[in-house]
Amino acid sequence: MDIAAYDPLNETPYQILDAQGKVILDHWEQSLSDSELIEAFKNMLFVRQFDTMAISYQRQGRMYTYPPNLGQEALSVASGSVLQKTDWMVPSVREMGAWYMKGVSLKELFLYYRGHEIAQRFEQANRIMPITVPIASQIPHAAGVGYGIKFHGEKAVVLTFIGDGGTSEGDFHEALNFAAVWKVPLITVIQNNHYAISLPVHKQTASKTLAAKSLSYGMPGIRVDGNDYIAMHEVLSGSIDYARQGNGPVLIEALTYRRGAHTTSDDPKKYRTQEEEQEWEPKDPVNRLRSFLVHKNIWNPDEEAELIEGYRKEIDTQFLEAEQYPPHSLDDVFAYMFSELPPELEAQKQEYQDYLNATAQEPQK
Amino acid sequence: MDKQTILQVYETMLTIRKFEEKALHLFEENKLRGSVHLSIGQEAVAAVVGAYLRDKDYITSTHRGHGHAIAKGARPDKAMAELMGRETGYCGGRGGSMHIADVEKGNLGANAIVGGGIPHANGAALSAQLRGTDQVAVSFFGDGAANEGIFHETLNIASIWKLPVIFICENNQYGMTTAVDSVTSVKDIAVRAAGYDMPGEVVDGNDVFAMEKAVKKAIKRAQDGEGPTLIEAKTYRWKGHWTGDPEVYRTRDEVEEWKTKCPIKRLEKHMQDKKILSLEQIEATHTKIDKLIDEAEEFALSSPDPDPATVLDNVYYEGDK
Ligand SMILES: Cc1ncc(C[n+]2csc(CCOP(=O)(O)OP(=O)(O)O)c2C)c(N)n1
Ligand SMILES: Cc1ncc(C[n+]2csc(CCOP(=O)(O)OP(=O)(O)O)c2C)c(N)n1
Ligand SMILES: [Mg+2]
Ligand SMILES: [Mg+2]
Repeated sequence: MDIAAYDPLNETPYQILDAQGKVILDHWEQSLSDSELIEAFKNMLFVRQFDTMAISYQRQGRMYTYPPNLGQEALSVASGSVLQKTDWMVPSVREMGAWYMKGVSLKELFLYYRGHEIAQRFEQANRIMPITVPIASQIPHAAGVGYGIKFHGEKAVVLTFIGDGGTSEGDFHEALNFAAVWKVPLITVIQNNHYAISLPVHKQTASKTLAAKSLSYGMPGIRVDGNDYIAMHEVLSGSIDYARQGNGPVLIEALTYRRGAHTTSDDPKKYRTQEEEQEWEPKDPVNRLRSFLVHKNIWNPDEEAELIEGYRKEIDTQFLEAEQYPPHSLDDVFAYMFSELPPELEAQKQEYQDYLNATAQEPQK
Repeated sequence: MDKQTILQVYETMLTIRKFEEKALHLFEENKLRGSVHLSIGQEAVAAVVGAYLRDKDYITSTHRGHGHAIAKGARPDKAMAELMGRETGYCGGRGGSMHIADVEKGNLGANAIVGGGIPHANGAALSAQLRGTDQVAVSFFGDGAANEGIFHETLNIASIWKLPVIFICENNQYGMTTAVDSVTSVKDIAVRAAGYDMPGEVVDGNDVFAMEKAVKKAIKRAQDGEGPTLIEAKTYRWKGHWTGDPEVYRTRDEVEEWKTKCPIKRLEKHMQDKKILSLEQIEATHTKIDKLIDEAEEFALSSPDPDPATVLDNVYYEGDK
């Protein structure tokens, strides 16, 4: 697909499947094989199980705050699966499927959500950066990685994520400007899930689309239905081809909906209606791809229960392994920012160690 | 533009030009210390905006802000005193060249932080909107500032809230030693307006009539409650970025080429062609402004330095005494 030919101001997203999983384009040829699509569907199912179980673990007090992914699985699984091993990924926070496809293990993720920074080394995965909590700070990093790729004359690309809210940050602007000036092979996927915590996207920007932000940098921008796995895959593939050929960066706005809470500490009822939530139910990405596969007679939904059962076992096994991991030490808190600790942090660490020593000696109440 | 406004814009441009030539001269004589960023060659932008704003309208300005201040009504004598760090200056000599504020005339202040003044204009515009007045706010900034994150954050909010604000990017082709196209992903900064769903217009910033058209339209839009506008005024700074800039990043030819597009000479020719001013009247205007600037110099030179004991005054607000 010719990414540069799309109008970033077009409010109608690029879409292949309707809510019932029927192909809406007249002349469409399936580029992914049936087995690839089945694989993608299974991965989405898997990610959804992970997500549901992660929320349960958190609710059981066995994990810290977690940002639910429910409803956003198509775009994340597609993003992870289009990358080659030598391509880079710079995470945001809500695309667990992409990290998983890049090779991040569940155990590492569970460790991370249990407070172990070391887990973010993502030893099983190739060329992925840590999860980024400060909104939009990943975009300058990703532009820098892209510059590095170009500097070293590699054929790789770098893919990063940002939320609809993140597009209003200055970092987004500075990074995309430089990415475009230097023509770095950067693909930025905006997950427009319609909310930044409680703020709806129509209060986030006056522009008709978020893809329109690409006009400020003279790069291609496209709005795609992010709940349509097939459309998402095509747009990503086209963008990656474009970037890999040295044409420069691309901005993708993937329309989706955060069906769950912002994090496990949020209650969406406070800022959105149930009617709205129900409106998005039929557009769910998992159901949509399932319907497509069922129409094609290549998927039997009766097999899902058993599949899910197996997934849940696997996920639970990895979670239990993470739970067995020794508690993190004070060293862990200071270990990953500086190769040599600056004196003021050294002093803070000592102070805290002294505090821990002192409280350890107090008699238990 | 009516005749009276043409004459006003002309005198403003001439005042800015001669004020800055004087500042440079004083600097070279070591009578004015610190640094001065001259807007010579860019005077039309400030002068036209100043002519169409009222005292109650706001501006925020930059390190290259003498012209903005003068166009918004600053007196050359108090401005020169400020540049020289004298007690009689607009900020009691504490601000210097890069920090002239003149709140009575709606100049909320120049700002040495690139892009630093842009969000302040949003704040002023928000205040006008909340108070229900017809005031508008204008922010001047450079091409370099348009690549700062704060530009993006400010324009985004301005458009969502439909603030009565006008963003004027003076694209003088360089941010210090850096050519605009080597750090800016688009040829025209005005296209960035599209990302915020606001109008963006490229204007010949050395043409007072082109500026007039764009500025009037933007003011009307702001006052009609339709929100902000981004105007990119293409212009050129004739002098170095700072006094003492060796200017190794551009050619003499380029500078000379732009000098032929001098906004003041262009208006002088127009006025003569249209019989608005004769050559004699133009010469008389020069003499008049020369005198004004000489007086400003004298005023500044004869003004006292601030009392060192007051150095900490006006840093923190300590409540109404
Ligand atoms: C710089 C910064 N500001 C504020 C926050 C707090 N915060 C965390 S998530 C969030 C909203 C992000 O919204 P969006 O970019 O749409 O991503 P989403 O959560 O919808 O995936 C905010 C404000 C933060 N993490 N970093
Ligand atoms: C935030 C910040 N970064 C860097 C500087 C140093 N600096 C002073 S002026 C300038 C260039 C500004 O270029 P532009 O915005 O085009 O304005 P011009 O000087 O051309 O009027 C720079 C980088 C600064 N003052 N503030
Ligand atoms: Mg969001
Ligand atoms: Mg400049």
